[in-house]
Amino acid sequence: MSQTDQLSAEEAIVVDDELWEELITLTNGAASACFQCGVCTAICPWGLVKAETVSVRTLMHQAQLGLPSANDSLWLCTSCAQCEALCPRGVPIVEVVRGLRYLAWQRRNTPRGLPSVLWSVYWNNNPWSQPPSHRTLWARNLDLPTYDAARHEILLYVGCTASYDQRVQRVARSVVRLLNAAGVRFGVLGDDEPCCGEAALNVGHKPYFQEIAQQTARVFRERGVTWLVTISPHCYDVFKNHYSQLNESFTPIHYTQYLAVLVEDGRLQLTRPVELKVTYHDPCYLARHNREVEAPRCVLRAIPGLELVEMKHAASDTLCCGGGGGRMWLETVAGERFSDIRVKEALATDASVLVTACPFCIVCLEDSVKSQKIQALAVMDIAELTAQALAGQA
Amino acid sequence: MVASLYSVAEEQKAIWIFLEQESGKLESVSLELLAKARQLADRVGWQLTGLLMGNSIAELAQEAIAYGADEIVLAEHPLLADFTVDAYCHVACEAIMCYKPSVFLLGVTPDGRDLAGRLAVRLRTGLNADCSDLRLTPESGILAGEVSGFGGGVLALIEMQNHRPQMATVRPGVFLAGQADFSRKGNVIRLPVNLTEAMINTRIIERVVGARTDLTQAPALVVGGRGVGDKFGMLRELADLIGGDIGATRPPVDEGYIERERQIGQTGVVCRPKVAIVCGASGAFHFVVGIQGADIVIAINSDPQAPIFDFADYCIVGDVFKVVPALIAALRATHEVSYA
Amino acid sequence: MPDLQMVVCMKVVPKPEEVRVDPATRLLDRAHARSEINPPDMNALEFALELKDRYGGRVSILSMGPPFFEPYLRVGLATGADHIYLLSDRAFGGADTLATTYTLAQGIQKMGGADLVFCGEESSDGATGQVPSGLAEWLDIGQITLVSDVDIDLARSVARGRREIRGGYEIVEVPLPAVVSVKTASNEPRFMDYRLKPGASDEGRVTVWSKTDLQAAETYLGLPGSPTTVSELTQAPTGERKRELLTGTPQEIAQRLAELLRDLCPNVPETSRKS
Repeated sequence: MSQTDQLSAEEAIVVDDELWEELITLTNGAASACFQCGVCTAICPWGLVKAETVSVRTLMHQAQLGLPSANDSLWLCTSCAQCEALCPRGVPIVEVVRGLRYLAWQRRNTPRGLPSVLWSVYWNNNPWSQPPSHRTLWARNLDLPTYDAARHEILLYVGCTASYDQRVQRVARSVVRLLNAAGVRFGVLGDDEPCCGEAALNVGHKPYFQEIAQQTARVFRERGVTWLVTISPHCYDVFKNHYSQLNESFTPIHYTQYLAVLVEDGRLQLTRPVELKVTYHDPCYLARHNREVEAPRCVLRAIPGLELVEMKHAASDTLCCGGGGGRMWLETVAGERFSDIRVKEALATDASVLVTACPFCIVCLEDSVKSQKIQALAVMDIAELTAQALAGQA
Repeated sequence: MVASLYSVAEEQKAIWIFLEQESGKLESVSLELLAKARQLADRVGWQLTGLLMGNSIAELAQEAIAYGADEIVLAEHPLLADFTVDAYCHVACEAIMCYKPSVFLLGVTPDGRDLAGRLAVRLRTGLNADCSDLRLTPESGILAGEVSGFGGGVLALIEMQNHRPQMATVRPGVFLAGQADFSRKGNVIRLPVNLTEAMINTRIIERVVGARTDLTQAPALVVGGRGVGDKFGMLRELADLIGGDIGATRPPVDEGYIERERQIGQTGVVCRPKVAIVCGASGAFHFVVGIQGADIVIAINSDPQAPIFDFADYCIVGDVFKVVPALIAALRATHEVSYA
Repeated sequence: MPDLQMVVCMKVVPKPEEVRVDPATRLLDRAHARSEINPPDMNALEFALELKDRYGGRVSILSMGPPFFEPYLRVGLATGADHIYLLSDRAFGGADTLATTYTLAQGIQKMGGADLVFCGEESSDGATGQVPSGLAEWLDIGQITLVSDVDIDLARSVARGRREIRGGYEIVEVPLPAVVSVKTASNEPRFMDYRLKPGASDEGRVTVWSKTDLQAAETYLGLPGSPTTVSELTQAPTGERKRELLTGTPQEIAQRLAELLRDLCPNVPETSRKS
């Protein structure tokens, strides 16, 4: 007798047509192309740290049937898009995961702590529950000009994490040093800088994200923003790929791309040798979501004396740090952190510095270095490293 | 203007204090109020009276006199055995209407707050809540309370000119209790109590005292980071001495030195204790988010560059394993002196 | 059985860290401060919505304040509340707790009463924490304050609350109708439901009452109805941490800290005093 014959009426799952239609609309029918091959499940980095892999295939199947996801693995996804890179059908898997997450929001079935993140964006214009009036404290000694479309070449979009997280504030200050050294005329929006909304997008709250995007795009339009340089690849990705109907007036660039241009144009002179062996961790949101692997490397190669070596998983094969997909606001237990593995990969290259270009990556990787008591490796951002190559540095 | 049930002209120049008791012991906030009120009463030459309600608590009257009261109005009744706002508000109102004191002070405890709020409306008088200081002017007999608002950002002096009693509440720990002097003499007046079961609508189903489990309720927290290793026993000792609880940053939790329920931070528990002593934690942002609401932060770390020092009121660059034992010894010595 | 009627008292407050005292006029300057819904009121609303999920009924938001409160209160509609009653009149201004609780009580009476009145435990501006008790007294109904959890028994018409107090907890029952005040951060307020959001902007969702609508006794309203007066206002040094460096031997530092802690933490349980 087959297993299906043994199912009683209570055990049979009933598919809700309305839900199915809703999911199709939410995801633009993204899951339909999936033919359940399972490559996604095989390649998901959760398989490196968990005994039981996250079944991405099951999530896609649930999406095809219109079933709200009942299990926790929906919230494990870091949106690293490793699965998308290898999917033979080109299914935008991350988009489907976001759609399933929104169904969970509608059912008020989200992990604890996430509603508070959205309220924080709503009341404080940042996902870190920090006072909005403290957004520019990091720059209090820097005398940054307020963005003026008539005078400035670019808007420097600092972002919430670089504004408030002490560690990442150092990256922001390095970016400012580099822009000043290159003679770039830039401004910032200060306390009025609107949140890009990536937290809302990645925890799956699509309508709230769209509301944020409308408001933020309006601010950029009103301020006459044309070129916008971001510190975080997450902000960059959101502006480039999820504001598409709204960003006709502005062009987002990641700061590593901008630095590469400044170096090529000769505006940024990197003359002081930095005799270090470094390896570069590609942030998922640059390497995979936006296929940007060259610009950061151009900048690094322009630093005199620097030796750049590659890790086992480099460029578009990069191993996620574990911070994306809203996981910066969710706990990942020790022993299951991707960044622990990544840091070991870095050690294997014999580099003394693990350099990256994303606020979330920096926080996760540095945390792994500390928790594994690694002395031989420092974690830095490209901006911090490049600033060391400026003439006149102590 | 709504008039209070009795006017300034009818007042008796006396300071009354709600003496709160629990399980046969006077609450420390009541002793603290007695000390402060004693100073105020001496300055203006008024009487200090304690209102003591409960059942079989007569011996506490002598203790309250020893701590500074001139007189105790004692209300004993089985229906006053456990605090209910129904019973206590009724009796307190009768007592106050009988004697018409100028000032009535209560401690900000859950029960004190309940009583003060209802009583003030019943008496149609003003209430100066959560005062950080009290002043009584001899000539005018006006009580001014210093109050902070907006998260402590603004200080105001509040008083009432035309309403009596002048009610004010004060948090535990604002004033210092004095020493008991059992040679002090005072009157004890027994108040007749008119209470029936029908007047009490609050039913206490269950009451468990003293089993603290929730970090967010702890008035003091001692937090251990990577720098304390597994020595949470030492932190527990310190926490007990200050009536608090222990917490941790993520690394000790990861190492299994302490339960995950005690992890403080963005992905753990967010706390707002009165005082947080942060030991051996560098001050990573994720952790700081969980403790930044503390009134006072004391940080101990051997690294002078540790980011935690930016978030602390008192910074100690030192060895946690030298400073904390010294602090435990110092606190023990203080206690031995106070309770000799 | 008639529908469960619940009222949630909510207030819009300035963000505490942005409020200033004008040094020249000595008046509160909240004009430049961003506003938000008083955070504990969101916890109060969440409990009301949970009871509505469980038992059905209606959740009304009640607020006393100027017209600019309205868009903030509509956020409550987007989370699931049914209606807003805004008590708005110049005459209500300057009220202390006696006048405030009186006015709110008049509003509840004009609404036809309620089974449960929820309040946040205190507000971040005045922080007196006295509104719940005062309101219960005006309405002559029972109260359970500082609850970290609450439920009702419709059959017996009682409210049951859990209070975390005295280093432990207490489970208390009072008959309905009752006032329930909610401990800050005792639950996680649900985010707005975007299926409800469009309806939250409808005109018909808000009722504004002035003093004439309430038929309240004028002497009880606003500043004239407030026994307490503010005689002085100053900016307190706050916000920024002191960052005071304590130096010396461990013993010297310990002495200084012990003095500090003795003042901050006087309520030490008996058992721990024994060495």
